[in-house]
Amino acid sequence: MFDLFSDIMACRTNALTRVDSRVKLVSALAVLVAVLCSTHLALPLAVLAACLAAMLALRLPVRLTLLRLAAPAVVVLVLTVVQVFMYGVTPLWTFTLGGCTFTATVEGAWKGALLGARVFGAVSAMLLLSSVTPAHQLFHALRWLGMPKTWVEVALLMYRYVFVLLDETADVATAQRVRLGYAGVSRSLSSLGVLSGTVIVRSLDQSMRTHEAMVLRCYRGSMPFGPLPVLGRKERWLLLLVPLAMAGLCCLAECLGRPQ
Amino acid sequence: MKEDAGSLALSASQVSFSYEEGTCALHQVDFHAQAGEFVALLASNGSGKTTLIKVLAGLLQPQQGTVLVSGQDIRKIAATELYQRVGLVLQNPNDQLFGATVEEDVAFGPRNLGLTENEVQKRVTESLEAVAAGPLRSRAIHHLSFGEQKRVAVAGVLAMHAATLILDEPTAGLDPMGETLMMRLLNRLNREQHITIVLATHSVDMLPLFAARICVLSHGKLLKVGPPEEIFCDHDMLARASLRLPYVSRLLHELKRYDGVPINGLPLTVGEARKQLLELLPEEVLTKPELQALPRPPEEDLS
Repeated sequence: MFDLFSDIMACRTNALTRVDSRVKLVSALAVLVAVLCSTHLALPLAVLAACLAAMLALRLPVRLTLLRLAAPAVVVLVLTVVQVFMYGVTPLWTFTLGGCTFTATVEGAWKGALLGARVFGAVSAMLLLSSVTPAHQLFHALRWLGMPKTWVEVALLMYRYVFVLLDETADVATAQRVRLGYAGVSRSLSSLGVLSGTVIVRSLDQSMRTHEAMVLRCYRGSMPFGPLPVLGRKERWLLLLVPLAMAGLCCLAECLGRPQ
Repeated sequence: MKEDAGSLALSASQVSFSYEEGTCALHQVDFHAQAGEFVALLASNGSGKTTLIKVLAGLLQPQQGTVLVSGQDIRKIAATELYQRVGLVLQNPNDQLFGATVEEDVAFGPRNLGLTENEVQKRVTESLEAVAAGPLRSRAIHHLSFGEQKRVAVAGVLAMHAATLILDEPTAGLDPMGETLMMRLLNRLNREQHITIVLATHSVDMLPLFAARICVLSHGKLLKVGPPEEIFCDHDMLARASLRLPYVSRLLHELKRYDGVPINGLPLTVGEARKQLLELLPEEVLTKPELQALPRPPEEDLS
């Protein structure tokens, strides 16, 4: 669980981690917009392939990457199934189940595939971004991009304490498991309820203790952030060129994919 | 914000505190620490030491009694000023380290004080160097080991330039080497930067080496105050407070084995051990000048 949320991979040194976090964030957002605006499969699939290739080249553990893609894969599956059977008129395949007839349509299949490709393309871009940018740098880049300071402060605190609470959750769950708390459905449900309650109470305790510690260092309602490093000429050019390049690619994909 | 040596850095007189549910955590406790002193609050779990240090740091208001910081009533000192005089290091570093990186966390206090960025960076560098955590500067907090987190927590408070440092169980959860490093670090801060150290602990083994004065607390009451020799001669009092004598003999054995200190014949009493240490240990290990002037301890066999 720790690995799933941790930014430990982003703390390694490689070609992408050395790039300024603001450049990476703007580039990722440009890719995200391009993928979401795309009306053809080519661009999202190209982004997915490029991001996966980059993650492989950076030697990110394949298992971790697949694990991180698992949740969006479930979303894609549901989306595709819904689209295939609920959208379009040209029948592709029909079957009967429990007296009901289900018809998959050609249009639905295309739409489902497009939505799936968009989700995978967008998620892979975000995964690559989070794999090469430590969380705190990402939050500071968001601050530079205009996200309200309070949101950044809350996000930083959430990210800091998610691991503490994960540890607490794991400890409580282990304590329950070794005392047969998960033997049987009813006991499991009861243990899950206790676990959730305990984590909520402990997170409240933690928040109070943290607030006390903040007060001890003269906290006055907002976290003071240091200045961000000045952007170099190369970074400024990249900030301009990457979104333009993505816009160009988007247009190109549209032109190539337009029916004659 | 340094105090004059010998002046009263922190004092509490007749302090009583009860929690809302009725638990009486402190009952008419008197406590004081002089500027530059290394004082230990020794107590078993649930004896009120955390409550007392929270009262001393101004986080809790006592129902009775007064707390003075440099002779001034704590209630009349503004928070910004108070926490530049008194710093509190909490027991669990997770409670205290909320910044994303070590640098951001240590800079939190100085930035809240409205210092210039140059001064903030200077304080961060100094504080991290003081706790030997310079190389951790750009590391994320959740990637640090427990011992590193403890040191960074101390650095965060040091960056406030507090004249008095109150520490709640600074060695709790540390391995034996980590314990020794932490105590030596505190000793160094006390000696070199003349920071008043008030340390709450139930760990008795390190105290004879480092604390000049020990206050024993039990069930919210102060049982005894005195130098380590006096405290560790009173076996009955320690037993009443659910404490024990330190493993002095064991400690000196380890010093002989690993540090090559030529101790011949293990001492059986705290007094003997201290006498041998004063004769044998190098200056950088045991440098508290006041220890040189300690009276000869009683001769009873206490080990």
